[in-house]
Amino acid sequence: MSDLREQLARIEGEIDERLATATTVADVDALEAETVGRKSALADARRGLGQAPQEERRELGALINSVADFVGARIAERRRVLADAEVAESLAGDRIDMTLPGRRPARGSHHLVTETLDEMTDIFVALGYDIAVGPEAETAWYNFTALNMPPDHPARAETDTLYLDYGNPDDGVLLRTHTSPMQARYMQQHEPPVYVVVPGRVFRRDALDPTHSPVFHQLEGLAVGEGITFADLKGTLAAFADRFFGAGRQVKFLPSYFPFTEPSAEMAVTCFSCDGSGCRICGHQGWIELLGCGMVDPAVFDHVGYDPSAVTGFAFGMGVDRFAMVRHGISDLRHFFEGDVRVLRQFR
Amino acid sequence: MKFTLNWIKEYVDLPTVDPDVISDVLAGLGFATESMHSIEPQFRGVVVARVASVAKHPDADRLRIVRLDDGTAETEVVCGAWNFEAEAVVAWAQPGSVLAGGLEVGEREIRGVNSPGMVASERELGLGEDHEGILVLDGDVEIGSDFGHLVPYPDTVIDVEVNPNRPDCMSVLGLARELAAYYGVEVRPPEISVPESGAPTEVTVAIKDGEGCPRFVAREVRGVTIGPSPLWLRLRLEAVGVRSINSVVDATNFAMLELGHPTHAFDRDLLGEEVVVRRAQGGETLRTLDGTERELDPTDMVVADGSRAVALAGVMGGEDTEVNDNTVNVLVEAAYWDPASILFTAARHGLHSEASSRFQRGADPNGARNAADRVAMLLGAHASGAPAPDAVDAYPKLIDPWAVEFPISEVERVTGTALDREEIVGHLESLGFGVAGTDPLIVTIPTRRPDVTRAVDLVEEVARLHGYDNFPDSVATGPGSGIPVSEQRYRQLRQVMVGAGFHETMSFSFIGQQDLDRLALPSDDPRRRGIDVIRPLREEEGVMRTTLLPGLLKAAANNVSRRVLNAALFETGKVFLPGGTLPQQPEALAFVASGATAGSWISEGRARDALDATGIWEVLAGAMGVDYELRQSSPPAFHPQRAVDVVVDGEVIGSLGELHPNVAVAFGLEGRVAVGEVIIDSLLADPGLWQFREVSVFPPVIFDMAFELPAESPASQVLSEIEATAGEVLEEVVVFDEFSGPPLAEGKKSIAVRLSFRALDRTLTDAELAPIRDAISAAVAAATGAKLRSG
Repeated sequence: MSDLREQLARIEGEIDERLATATTVADVDALEAETVGRKSALADARRGLGQAPQEERRELGALINSVADFVGARIAERRRVLADAEVAESLAGDRIDMTLPGRRPARGSHHLVTETLDEMTDIFVALGYDIAVGPEAETAWYNFTALNMPPDHPARAETDTLYLDYGNPDDGVLLRTHTSPMQARYMQQHEPPVYVVVPGRVFRRDALDPTHSPVFHQLEGLAVGEGITFADLKGTLAAFADRFFGAGRQVKFLPSYFPFTEPSAEMAVTCFSCDGSGCRICGHQGWIELLGCGMVDPAVFDHVGYDPSAVTGFAFGMGVDRFAMVRHGISDLRHFFEGDVRVLRQFR
Repeated sequence: MKFTLNWIKEYVDLPTVDPDVISDVLAGLGFATESMHSIEPQFRGVVVARVASVAKHPDADRLRIVRLDDGTAETEVVCGAWNFEAEAVVAWAQPGSVLAGGLEVGEREIRGVNSPGMVASERELGLGEDHEGILVLDGDVEIGSDFGHLVPYPDTVIDVEVNPNRPDCMSVLGLARELAAYYGVEVRPPEISVPESGAPTEVTVAIKDGEGCPRFVAREVRGVTIGPSPLWLRLRLEAVGVRSINSVVDATNFAMLELGHPTHAFDRDLLGEEVVVRRAQGGETLRTLDGTERELDPTDMVVADGSRAVALAGVMGGEDTEVNDNTVNVLVEAAYWDPASILFTAARHGLHSEASSRFQRGADPNGARNAADRVAMLLGAHASGAPAPDAVDAYPKLIDPWAVEFPISEVERVTGTALDREEIVGHLESLGFGVAGTDPLIVTIPTRRPDVTRAVDLVEEVARLHGYDNFPDSVATGPGSGIPVSEQRYRQLRQVMVGAGFHETMSFSFIGQQDLDRLALPSDDPRRRGIDVIRPLREEEGVMRTTLLPGLLKAAANNVSRRVLNAALFETGKVFLPGGTLPQQPEALAFVASGATAGSWISEGRARDALDATGIWEVLAGAMGVDYELRQSSPPAFHPQRAVDVVVDGEVIGSLGELHPNVAVAFGLEGRVAVGEVIIDSLLADPGLWQFREVSVFPPVIFDMAFELPAESPASQVLSEIEATAGEVLEEVVVFDEFSGPPLAEGKKSIAVRLSFRALDRTLTDAELAPIRDAISAAVAAATGAKLRSG
């Protein structure tokens, strides 16, 4: 049996030498068949184990297994090295300059005004406000009369309104000059309390130039119920400014005039760019005028059938297009309406 | 409204003259500063001197030797101006003084005569543009005094925005009153006394329309001198942007700026004896001061004499009776006009003046007499006029201050803060309101404040003076039901389009008739029935859009003209069609894709065509969970052989395909243009929950079938027959080939499909599928006349 032991020692001792001559995975495969395959000396040894003396059988068996394990492991190791090398060699010719542009699926873009309007809207959604939308071609009653601007009201004549050749001339149909008509529509359709914002397109009789457009966009807001006060107006809009422009904004409220609110206010916010010290973006004012707002005028409640002695509320309206411009450094409003792909693809 | 700090200080003692502080205080009261600038004197060391004598220059015909007396000594200077003689009082820029532009004055020889300094003109002093002659001062100044004391500089000009509800603050006095209220000090209106003389006026005033003109005050001033106003007055007017005209016009302008009440001066002698205030008559015309001949409307109020209209009331005077260089006697009008009437007249004539902008917002009916007297006083002081006794004051129905009941609790109800009764009363009284009663307060509103008629208006007054920023903040949150489904789906729709490589654009909501021509819409197309915009700014914006395509195609063409050739654009928005009380305003989606798909350095993009249009729709409808059918069609504007109608719930909601080449050319596009437009209201509706379909774990059985069928038969019919016949085991069917021509007969085409089958519970066998294949073949044949070519 010492022959067998010698033979096993030899197999174990020679394996690395023999593997060194294998230069391909196929060579390793052949060597594997020869050393640990069914016709190998190891297989023979295992088969001959039955003839071994009873007392040596266990020890020899363990020895054979250990040699087989060792040789198998060496072979596997050599195969892995060679296989890796073979793959690496075959991939070498596959090289691409991966800094070249990739195969890009076409990327579109949301219009910046849509994006800004959605962003503004969602801030109020998070504050628990509903969203309502309304007609763009609107009656003069909703656009003016319901908002405390009867036909002889100066604000009505002073507004550059586009009227449509449609319907009853006594209650002319026009292109809404603000999103505020939805205040009246919404209150007519809902009992207080109401919390709603109205995003939408509005119209003025203006020619398109870098800072004016006959078509622009607003976000209207309305909160009406028992006990809603000027403090709520201030706090809610300050919260909006914080979220839209980033925390730490200062706001100020200055008296203003709108026929449908009383008291009325303009809200300004410290410039998001210079933080109030004055820069090009804020016209060196340090402040950016953000929106018009106020407590809903009792006359509006009368028009929509709310009891002005029972409820109070606030309303606000802000321009969207101008904000989108200010925030992103766009100096010409016309970019919004020309559909130039070089402009649009800058939008995200 | 522009004013200067020096001017406003005449009516109120301000605790500060820091312009930034004043500007902030006014903004806090509702008068935001639009602009502000300071005025500094541009001269130094100029003294007032009397011209003792004037003599000829020995060597120059155009020059004179002027002997100046500064009270202590006499000096001779050379002067080229001829607008003065001995005894005139002038500004002597003596050697060492400095003039506008930093010019240092010295002693120099002019044509052989030594001239220590010079006599200065307005322009040289930096006070105006006048350089025709030197500045001649009014008599009543101290000889030898510093000329700088005569000029109201340094000063600061502040331009504030006045909201339309505050006509009272379109005046220096009105703003002074606001500042006085804020600082808790007294306001000091100008003391007005009229130096009347001569015979009582014979002017009569007849108001024929008391509704249009509740009050008309007329003041006759005789013997006026038409000349320049005194320097201080001219400088004051010019500082606030009003050009000095002459002593009479300047007086009316000054009074208007000071008191806020517009007045008008007529040449008394060009006017008949009787002043009539009435509506214009049909066909009546008037040439206004701006030189325009105007046809008057019977609703216009006019001032007239016995024979004709002489002024468009409250808006602009007439040229015929204008004060001119020969005017001797003046009639000053100070009226109160019905605001609505002035508003309509100014709007109708497109004529907006300083006067109309005040009257249409509402002047103070009880301020008219004061304004007339102020002008008469100024004419007496600065135009040597003699106001006749007395004013004619036609005021048939007195307009009294009104009382407003003001429960103190209203302040808290609206602002959220309970202010002391004492503070509330203090604020109201500081504004000149009368306050009586305990609670409710009974507040008497002066007639200059037409904006205050209700308790809530008083809340605003109190809140303004308390300071908006001094109220606390709290956040009003709503119950919130999140983003409504329709809005979510609208966003999802846009997201799908963007994800598919389309850029969102925006165009105006109006188009022109020519756009519909360019689309080659037939005359009976409903999109031809667009609603007209009344008096559009541009003809191209004359009709409300009935389709988004023109705006979108123009945007695409903009890109082509800028050499951006591959553009995929979409727009969503309302289109407008005739409806009920309001036009129908459905939401539409349109898209256009021209040029090629996205390529790269490794693979070129593919030219776009009609199937890009159906493809994006199929993706969109899939994402939105909408069932639809596409029907081959030839809708207007589309390629007649490459378009489909989109049918949802049995209704055609739009069309997809390729743009008709003629339409493409008409819009400036070239090549095949994929395009589509659909009304999306049905897509925005909540489709309900979708249900999961179990997927099989067994291997599929796949086979192909090719059908030969009439060329005009739609592939969609083959597919729908297959889907209807194959049963639940059909997992997928895709078209993988379509062709016509040999070996097929003329008028035939071949469609090849690959079908993939799986069952949920077992591996399918060929034997099981054979009858299904036969059934499909029979069904397709029956429906389309197709013949199975293979499979």
